[in-house]
Amino acid sequence: MWKDYSANYIKNNRASSVSIMVAALISTLFLSFLCSVFYNSWTYEVEQIILEEGDWQGRIMGDIGEEELDVIRNFANVEKIVANEKLSREQKIAVDVYFHDMRTIFRDMPLIVDKLGLEEDAVSYHLLLLSRYLIHDPQDKEPPLLMTFYLAVLAIVSFSLVLIIRNSFAVSMRARIHQFGIFSSIGATPKQIRTCLMQEAAVLCTVPILLGSFLGIISSAGAMWAANLIAEDVVERHEAVFQYHPLIFMITISVSVLTVLFSAWMPARKLSRLTPLEAIRGTDVLSLKRKRNPQILFRLFGMEGELAGNALKAQRKALRTASLSLTLSFLGFTMMLCFFALTDISTRHTYFEKYQDVWDEMVTIKDTKIEDFYLTEKLRELEGVQDVIVYQKAASAISVSEEWQSDELSALGGLGAVAGSFVSKSNDGPWLVKAPVVIMDDEAFKEYCEQIGIASRLDGTVILNQIWDSINSNFRYKKYIPYVKENRETIILQKTEKEQGAVEIPVFAFTRQVPVLREEYDNYTLVQFIPLSLWEKISGQVEGTETDIYVRILARDGVTLAELNELEENISQLVGETYEIESENRIQEKITNNKMINGYKLILGSFCFLLALIGIANVFSNTLGFLHQRKREFAQYMSVGLTPAGMRKMFSVEALVIAGRPLLITLPLIGAFEVFATKASHLKLMEVLPEFPVVSILSFSLVIFGFIALAYYIGGKRLLQCDLSEALQNDTMA
Amino acid sequence: MEILKCSDIEKVFGKGSNQVAALNGIDLSVEKGEFVAVIGASGSGKSTLLHILGSVDKATKGKVIVDGVDIGKLNATDSAIFRRRKVGLVYQFYNLIPTLTVRKNILIPMLLDKRKPDKEYFENIIGILGIGDKLEALPHQLSGGQQQRVAIARSLIYRPALLLADEPTGNLDQKNSKEIIDLLKLSNRNLKQTILLITHDEKIALEADRIVTIEDGQIISDQKRR
Repeated sequence: MWKDYSANYIKNNRASSVSIMVAALISTLFLSFLCSVFYNSWTYEVEQIILEEGDWQGRIMGDIGEEELDVIRNFANVEKIVANEKLSREQKIAVDVYFHDMRTIFRDMPLIVDKLGLEEDAVSYHLLLLSRYLIHDPQDKEPPLLMTFYLAVLAIVSFSLVLIIRNSFAVSMRARIHQFGIFSSIGATPKQIRTCLMQEAAVLCTVPILLGSFLGIISSAGAMWAANLIAEDVVERHEAVFQYHPLIFMITISVSVLTVLFSAWMPARKLSRLTPLEAIRGTDVLSLKRKRNPQILFRLFGMEGELAGNALKAQRKALRTASLSLTLSFLGFTMMLCFFALTDISTRHTYFEKYQDVWDEMVTIKDTKIEDFYLTEKLRELEGVQDVIVYQKAASAISVSEEWQSDELSALGGLGAVAGSFVSKSNDGPWLVKAPVVIMDDEAFKEYCEQIGIASRLDGTVILNQIWDSINSNFRYKKYIPYVKENRETIILQKTEKEQGAVEIPVFAFTRQVPVLREEYDNYTLVQFIPLSLWEKISGQVEGTETDIYVRILARDGVTLAELNELEENISQLVGETYEIESENRIQEKITNNKMINGYKLILGSFCFLLALIGIANVFSNTLGFLHQRKREFAQYMSVGLTPAGMRKMFSVEALVIAGRPLLITLPLIGAFEVFATKASHLKLMEVLPEFPVVSILSFSLVIFGFIALAYYIGGKRLLQCDLSEALQNDTMA
Repeated sequence: MEILKCSDIEKVFGKGSNQVAALNGIDLSVEKGEFVAVIGASGSGKSTLLHILGSVDKATKGKVIVDGVDIGKLNATDSAIFRRRKVGLVYQFYNLIPTLTVRKNILIPMLLDKRKPDKEYFENIIGILGIGDKLEALPHQLSGGQQQRVAIARSLIYRPALLLADEPTGNLDQKNSKEIIDLLKLSNRNLKQTILLITHDEKIALEADRIVTIEDGQIISDQKRR
């Protein structure tokens, strides 16, 4: 009997059945997609950590011999140990320890070092890797909670998806309370009704759940493929390989099935709390528990506005998922765009705009001293090369007495006031400031001398005589003042740590012009530009050179990507044969950077769009249930003279409120965020406002408005097309 | 003055071999200020007649003129406006808007018309109906009898040409039923309200000035009592 009843019901209520099936399909698809993407992101991150920092779990450093190694090896939970040769020194041996069960690592490692008789600080943990398995040091009061955060987000989103299935069942089941009331009145037990509903749910949802799960897996594989494609140019990135674990499938299916069964079981439970008469009379009319006063909607849209506001309030439980996910998606999307807009402005200030004319190719030559590099002239002769500077950086320091400081600096209170803790001083002695040395090849140095208008010589230094006035300007819009008085003919460069090794060199010029290099110099430093010839003479006394040298190459104006790629290839052939090099070109760099930002935007944007889809799906599942849920309500409106246009107005107001509320909540928050972020990054509001992503935000809003309007259009049309008068005749209409 | 005139009304539900004639050639005329009871067994067609007279449903054939308006010719919007201004409908299960307060439920036909109610008339109605202290309550906070009083107040607020009541006491106990009928009589006498009451209860019908009996979609008797 029940089978016939269910089969007939499904057959004769296609819209309701389809809405349940679609809800189950969409929710399972997203659930499966999210779980799979999360799993793949997690495995990728673990792989990346292992590639960069190794797969060790715990590490013991100390005087460890064979006997001690056996002690570690024989510890019950230790799976294996590996001697870390890179970190080991004569007396201190580093041993990487791997556990069978790494969850007990923070208990086991102290026990092991205790057995070895080593101090507690002999132990170190791979905290980053362990945190990815949610293993945290119990002593750590602020453990890294990124994984927990990701899991919480996943749980919230999954819960929203689960609610969609539940809501679509609730809408359909609410309409059937009356029918089951009749069954109940003629003697059907709650168990029989429950079984009937469960069977129906199983029939309706088995295929959508299985299909949704598979489509979710396929979509996540597609997403991984797209991520690889977007990030293919990113240097030192390892390719993500799609992986899937049967447990993910089990979780997705279990959550979906349990939701479906729970959703079907709920009406049966509700029914068991009603008398058959109550059930027959129906409880499907939307009502409010308390009186409310929707003055705004009444004033804006008249009586229809008030009715729409009350109806929304009465449906608030059913629309909770929609409200939450639409608001979150809108907030997330807008904040993401604002964040990227600010980052873009900031990057322009600090990078691309600032350096776009100072380099076309950059070559880093590894582990080489500038005096040993012999291909400078050959590089200059390469076709397409217009200008070359080969340079290396070294660290040094200079004493700056109070008297030597410029009048402008003294007027601001001197170095101590401007640079604070960035400079140091011993008792009443002079300030010791960092003086980074940029050693340029002789030819380039000569050109630099010409650029600043001094005679070319190769036996002295040019001092970049400027310091950031941090009192009267912020880091974003720096104002510079002279650092020192330009009255010295020589300076003494010294090692940064101690006085020994100082060398006196002539000063050619004090300047505010820097050579054309892609370099940013640290604040409060007194930068020195010196030729290679001089460096060869003094290097033994100062030292402190960095390990790599750099070659900055400029090509012709308006050079194309193809030309730069060809040039890069030629440079590689010329220099790469003898030296270990890394090269980058400006246009490719910008393209890669843009790709990365677009990739981030795509991933975050997709996530926001997914949230929006959840909200929209929830609105659809609600409006598709109008015919069952709100027939009586609209019949009542009709009986008191609400016109069809008035009903359409009501639907429009409801749609407007659902789609507009996230906007109203988000915009003040975004405004506050924009002002705060602008202030925090020391940008000017007038510079940021024109970059505010109005068009994208407007487009996103329009898409949301469009979908919600469509949902209401379909639901409203179905409702207005049906005969409402029968709903007024008695109280048993469903 | 004739406030309602029905000529040869027919109403057929279903199509083809499933056709059922709910009304079959109804002719009815009601004068202004009359209190008419329409009685008949369940399924006789009386509720269908009320829905047609109230412009909630359309007749398959025939003409219905209420206060000079041929309601069969009205489109959906004009029908709604007609219901709002010319008829007051009272149902067995009240059909109050559950999300609005009693005050707004009563005033809704006027609010939909963006009209301000006559304060004196409003006070008069709620005074007669005894719901003055319930104006800010929601319908579910009232008893069945109180809800039906609100429904009557709503139907009277626009001073309609015709008040149509479909089994208004069907869901009430004896005491409340009597009170509701007394209120209808009171509004008929004091406000000169024309009332068409549908009931299956002969005892209630005896309270009206005129009793029309329907059987199988046809009027089989029309008796004036006063």
